[in-house]
Amino acid sequence: MKQKITKSQKAYMQNPIIQFFKFIYLNVRIIRIVAGGHGGTRK
Amino acid sequence: MSKIVILGSGIAGHTAASHLRRKLSKKHEVLVVSPNWNYQWIPSNIWVGIGRMQPEQIIFPLEPLYKKKGINFKQAKVVSFHPEGDDSTLPYVVVEYVFGEQKGETEKVAYDYLINATGPKLAFDLTEGLNPGTDDVYSVCTYDHAQHAASGLEKLIEKAKNSSSKLKVLIGTGHAKATCQGAAFEYILNVEQELRRRKVRDKVSIKWITNESTLGDFGMDGMLLSYQGKPMKSSDMVEMVFRDREIEWILGAGVNKIDQGKAFYENLEGEKKTEEFDFAMLIPAFSGHGFKAYDQQGGDITPKLFKGFMVVDADYTVKPYEEWTVQDWPETYQNPSYPNIFAPGIAFAPPHSISRPRKSPNGTEIFPAPPRTGMPSGITAKLVADNIIDSIKSGKESLHHRGSLGNMGAACIASAGYGLITGSGVSITTFPIVPDYKKYEKTGGRDIKKTFGDIGLAGHWVKLSLHYAFIYKAKMKPFWWLIPE
Repeated sequence: MKQKITKSQKAYMQNPIIQFFKFIYLNVRIIRIVAGGHGGTRK
Repeated sequence: MSKIVILGSGIAGHTAASHLRRKLSKKHEVLVVSPNWNYQWIPSNIWVGIGRMQPEQIIFPLEPLYKKKGINFKQAKVVSFHPEGDDSTLPYVVVEYVFGEQKGETEKVAYDYLINATGPKLAFDLTEGLNPGTDDVYSVCTYDHAQHAASGLEKLIEKAKNSSSKLKVLIGTGHAKATCQGAAFEYILNVEQELRRRKVRDKVSIKWITNESTLGDFGMDGMLLSYQGKPMKSSDMVEMVFRDREIEWILGAGVNKIDQGKAFYENLEGEKKTEEFDFAMLIPAFSGHGFKAYDQQGGDITPKLFKGFMVVDADYTVKPYEEWTVQDWPETYQNPSYPNIFAPGIAFAPPHSISRPRKSPNGTEIFPAPPRTGMPSGITAKLVADNIIDSIKSGKESLHHRGSLGNMGAACIASAGYGLITGSGVSITTFPIVPDYKKYEKTGGRDIKKTFGDIGLAGHWVKLSLHYAFIYKAKMKPFWWLIPE
């Protein structure tokens, strides 16, 4: 049986206060990945 | 003085032009040649496609901005490439004006450096009957296509209100080797939410049709990601979302014909099937533009510049999937025959797909082409611009800036519904874009610390913030360069 989104998870996903903190967290994670840079793969 | 000509004004072309102009003195000329009058922020097309945003919110005219910033602009399309020039000129491209008094006229445009950022041709013609805006089938690939899609969706909603039987929505890929599954994924979730908001969801069945062999492949061979602190396959994540939204799916489908509300397709089992719809949004195949290139004597040298898309510093050796490596992917996007030509964004020819190639028993190839949109387009355009800037300033070729898709992350913030409080998003970050199965052997080729998924309202806010931030950046407003690609 595949994982389901439960009612409590849905409430969490749509709670504006919790999601405000999640919004900051997501932005920080995304910026870290972007700012983490990029480069070549060949030596 | 150097002259840099940029073909195209999409995410890659505009990014390159902006950085070149900011970092080079005015004695150097930056010229953009594009058939498009407007810049469009393509990732927000899905919101235009459900009628929650107007095209004016995602576009702005380029010429006034370029005039103000000292970037020259020709509203024209490139016709042919002449990288060796002729007896009297530098290398040049022939362009044809598409607007104004000069419409239809051609001109030689000489350059010292050429950036080909022409993106893909939307190859609707490769699928019989796939004409956006006709026969209840739509596209969200451009803002005007998306506007038509919004009208079509509105008609469907009105029809559903008075219908006693269930109507059918079909969204996904419209060709066996289409890419950009992410955009279709966003659109299906937005349509689903819009139908709920308009209280007709119970009167419409929604189906996902895709050339992916598993859900959540996204043309990237799928991914193992971290979800709520635990490892989860992207296929399981997408399935969880689809089950929650009561969306059905068809996998491994190569759509080959559209006719009067029917999509004809062949699947990976070799079966030929039909799916009916009252409203469909199908992403077409992307192809090269079919450009031609000529040497100084007028001889055809197209294969030196193009393999469909532009040839760059990739390893194009044909080899089986098991032998593919991240080292096959380009790092500088420089053409090996003509070092003053570059092709960032979608314009470069990928060495191969990222997803495992698959064929039906009838020999039909059904698998996604590699996605290279948004963030990687911006990053590769900036690194190409930086290398050209360094080369001009130092007076010798500099290729210090490198960025392989095998050593680059991407954030895919998929909108799952519009609304300040009712909206939702599926946020996925992945590193690297092309899986490195040697370096990250145990986690499906990806760094699990940088590859994660999240679902919720915050994702919608992130996507909306990116919309405003990137339009601000594209308009080159104060300190625009501080916003990363």
